[in-house]
Amino acid sequence: MYIVIENLLQRLVTGIMVGSIYGLLCTGLGMIFGVIRVINFAQGELMMLGMYATMFLGGLLALWLSVGSAAGAYLAIFVVAAALGGVGWMIQKYLISHVSGFKASQSDNQGHFAQLILTLGLSLVISNGALILFGSSPRTVQSPLASSSVTIGPFSEGDIMIFLNQARGIGCLVAIAVSIVLYLIVQKTRLGITMRAAADNPKAATLMGIDIEKSYATAFAIGTAATAIAGGLIAMYYPFHPYTGFEFVIIMYAGVVLGGMGSMLGAFWGGFTMGLVQQLSTYFLPFQLQNATIFVLFLVVVLLRPQGLFGKNVERA
Amino acid sequence: MLVIENLSTYYGAIQALDQVSIEVKQGQFVAIVGPNGAGKTTLFDSICGHVKPQSGSITFNGIDLLTLPAKERAHLGLSHVPEGRQVFPNLTVYENLLMGASTQQGRADWHRNLEMCFTLFPILAQRRDQLAGTLSGGEQQMVAIARGLASSPKLLLLDEPSMGLAPIVVDMIFERIKALHEEMKLSILLVEQRVVEALDPCDWAYVLNVGRCVASGPPQDIIKDKGIAQAYLGMQ
Amino acid sequence: MLMPVTKGPQLAMIGVVSAIMALGSLWISDPYYQLILSTVPIWATVALTWNLFSGYTGLISFGHATFFGLGAFTVALLFIKLGISPWYGLMLAFMVGACASVLIGSITFRLRGHYFAIAMLAYPTLFIFLFDWMGWQELTFPIVRDHPMQFMQFKDGRAYTLMGVGLMTLTLLLTLFIERSRFGLAMMSIKQNEMAAQAAGIHTFRVKMMGFVLSGALGALVGGFHAVVLQVVTPHGVLGTVVSAQALILTLFGGVGTLWGPVIGATVLVPLTEGLRAELGHILPGIQGVIYGLTIMIVIVVAPEGLYWKVRDILHRKNSASPELKKDRKNITWVSDGAKRIQSTTTILRVEGISKAFGGLQALKNVNFEVYENEILGIIGPNGAGKTTLFNVLNGFQIPDAGVITFRDNITTGQGPHQLCSVGMGRTFQVSRPFLRMNVFDNVLVGALGVCKNSEDAKFLAQQALDMVGMSEMNDQSIQSLTNLELRLLELARALASQPKLLLLDETLAGLGTAEVDAILQVIHHLPSQGITIVIIEHTMQAMMRLVDRMVVLDHGQVIAKGLPQKVMNEPEVINAYLGKKWMTLHASH
Repeated sequence: MYIVIENLLQRLVTGIMVGSIYGLLCTGLGMIFGVIRVINFAQGELMMLGMYATMFLGGLLALWLSVGSAAGAYLAIFVVAAALGGVGWMIQKYLISHVSGFKASQSDNQGHFAQLILTLGLSLVISNGALILFGSSPRTVQSPLASSSVTIGPFSEGDIMIFLNQARGIGCLVAIAVSIVLYLIVQKTRLGITMRAAADNPKAATLMGIDIEKSYATAFAIGTAATAIAGGLIAMYYPFHPYTGFEFVIIMYAGVVLGGMGSMLGAFWGGFTMGLVQQLSTYFLPFQLQNATIFVLFLVVVLLRPQGLFGKNVERA
Repeated sequence: MLVIENLSTYYGAIQALDQVSIEVKQGQFVAIVGPNGAGKTTLFDSICGHVKPQSGSITFNGIDLLTLPAKERAHLGLSHVPEGRQVFPNLTVYENLLMGASTQQGRADWHRNLEMCFTLFPILAQRRDQLAGTLSGGEQQMVAIARGLASSPKLLLLDEPSMGLAPIVVDMIFERIKALHEEMKLSILLVEQRVVEALDPCDWAYVLNVGRCVASGPPQDIIKDKGIAQAYLGMQ
Repeated sequence: MLMPVTKGPQLAMIGVVSAIMALGSLWISDPYYQLILSTVPIWATVALTWNLFSGYTGLISFGHATFFGLGAFTVALLFIKLGISPWYGLMLAFMVGACASVLIGSITFRLRGHYFAIAMLAYPTLFIFLFDWMGWQELTFPIVRDHPMQFMQFKDGRAYTLMGVGLMTLTLLLTLFIERSRFGLAMMSIKQNEMAAQAAGIHTFRVKMMGFVLSGALGALVGGFHAVVLQVVTPHGVLGTVVSAQALILTLFGGVGTLWGPVIGATVLVPLTEGLRAELGHILPGIQGVIYGLTIMIVIVVAPEGLYWKVRDILHRKNSASPELKKDRKNITWVSDGAKRIQSTTTILRVEGISKAFGGLQALKNVNFEVYENEILGIIGPNGAGKTTLFNVLNGFQIPDAGVITFRDNITTGQGPHQLCSVGMGRTFQVSRPFLRMNVFDNVLVGALGVCKNSEDAKFLAQQALDMVGMSEMNDQSIQSLTNLELRLLELARALASQPKLLLLDETLAGLGTAEVDAILQVIHHLPSQGITIVIIEHTMQAMMRLVDRMVVLDHGQVIAKGLPQKVMNEPEVINAYLGKKWMTLHASH
């Protein structure tokens, strides 16, 4: 009896931690997909690159700065995020903007398809390129955190103990902190408001003298950086390989759609739900089917409530 | 201040503007009236850069606008309040106004301008944290105008402020516009379908029909002109 | 037209290409090259099956691997677990593919655009998880010693290549017949403008489903065959994103929505990537993916519709008519028969109490009016008066909150556009999106598809419509060479091709010059004598006064005046709406 409760509670707690990290992950895509309405199929691949970069840089930093491997890794995460943000900036400015906008809407497809296919190509190049460079064997970011836990409890006459994996736990805290910072940037700062304005009504924004191309590129950069941070946090406890990107891209899109388009808060909760569901499903389902729940949930959301929990407008038949 | 000479603009093969010449001097309130399809919006689109004219010139304080990309024109002091309001629906009233102050001058004068806008349109102060998309048409028009003022403009371009608004609201809006011109000595270029509302406060008026400038002069003269009824109602 | 468009030459092309591939395969006996060669027609077929649906309807799917994989697993499981020969297995795979399409389609067609594309991604991945869990990580075909041919096991690899070519040929033939058929035209009209297709009477859901089922069933068939060739099936190998991506990329590269696009893509890209993988695969694993990725990125930026169209456009431009020719053309002829219209008192359309609100905005409020048979009724009003919303409600794109619409003595409130089309209501759209790549006749033909049982009738109606607008000599003209006036007339002809009794014209005169307006007015004037009632929205005053028999004036969603034009335009409410109350007071003495 207590084992059942303990199992469920354990998964709940892990779900909350993982959910928070997924929340940040989705917030990143939420900025891009939800706010500036750009489809980036390569988001997962950028995350994957971030994971590898964190692994390499983390080790180096730990050495140079004579800090523990964990501290090196966390430092690396932020450095890598900044770098990937720059990459994202360039992708939007020099690649995606060429296929979207008023130009592309003259052809048979809307700009969205062109973005979809362009970034599909990009994701193929990056993931397979990574395969060539790094090989197919799974890696992790080395640190003692992945294998150490903090215990909560004992509760209930000493029969229930919950383990908080440290890597997940710290990751959760970092994710929440970064998400809050992001939220504040987008909602309160002039930069953030300008980005939202450019997405809300690009024509009017141009009339105000706002450079919408620059806004889009900045939003893309921030979104990519957020995803990279989340990826780095995940890499601390979960092995990754060149095709990890695809695994997470569905989680990201599912989370954003569940949370509702245009809402960063929604994206966070959408990701959170995905993480929670994924962890809880480990109780009921065999290993191979656990990730299937994400896909099923995605389908259910997209079919029954495409506007999500917090969403505004949506493209539906 | 603003000088448009022999402007001709096409949409595809259709000529929307044919050799139009307009001038706005410093401190003037100029109105352009004309029925639907006369080319009024095309004129504004040409001024703010959404559409590229075939021939002619547009200069603002001596600067050739046609060589300047659209996003730079606001920074010269040209503020365009677009047709249909075009507020940022998912931003609050305050945020909308903040966006209006995206120019350097606008940012410098922000606090003063904000105060001025709230005095001019008190209801906006009440609704400052409300999403602009949930406001009524009249309130949105006020947001759009206030947003236009937030950039500390040298010339305010008003594009059909009456569109889609109930008559009472239109009266109120025009009364505020008149106040703007009189109290702040703001230069205004107004484009309107509603003839009398437009002609009342202005110093000089042009009549546009089928892309051509068919009349121009002081408002008193234009109002008496029978040609206007003809243009608007297709009467013989 | 520089590429053969009629059936004969295309058939010949198919024959030639197939023959070349078949002979080529027979000639090369090196098993290494054989393997590469055999994959070309297979992947060409996969791409063709993807193109059948996504290429023609424009609904891009990222999940074609679902069918490919299901087919592969069906054949493999039947053979390995039940000992059923792949000859039968393939037939069953076909049916499995069809059933899966029906199921997936009915769930997923609700989605549009990129939602559809991404949602389709979920299905193959779900099956990967499922099959992994079932323990089918690798299904290997056992080697049969007695009667291997009965189990599709040939010693000579060339047999597989020949079968592959055969499959490809069949799919090409099928695509060719569909392309030129009503069904194909219906699919393409959905790609162009789904709303207009519905208004023309096309049952878009049914058309999409048919295309999807064909695509899925054949996709499964080819997947099953591919499994037999490889003799092994793994979940990732047949259901992975690579499969879907490959189908998409080959087609997009070669030319989407065409007969030859997928084949061009396959013949260029498959040997390239397979060859690279074979040569460099051990040093550079995943080189295939990189090449595909780069290819598609370059294509989408440089030639988004694929090689086929790009080449055709370039060749076209070199041979296009010089500008002078356009102006000299006096092809438009119309009959000004001066026939007097008999004023009818039969009501063909009655609108009672129609109201419609969007969120907080009341777009239409208690709208009442009648339309008499064979008259031309004008609906005017200032901007934002609700005119287009009214049309959308009349035409079935929006359902009113209140009120009744009676058309030809039947209540039609709430019926969809294609139903209304079949009972005689037609409509033009403000933004006409003609098929840029088809000629004038085919563009108009689309309008007749929804109401005709066979293509002969459709062609007749299309020709009749073109005659009515005075463009009968312009059948073979390409769209790009048309003037603005001709494009408007084309849109009108498309709407006329469904033989409507009532035609809703949505701002047909907008943006036209005076001479062009005169020309269109002549055409419209002529229509009631052919038994067509016209309701037209406009705000170009002068033209309306000359054209209409009666007028209805809308302002802020309400009817403020009805009646004869001269009378209506003098009514105070109308003048007020257009010029303002103050004008009235100023000119009271006039």
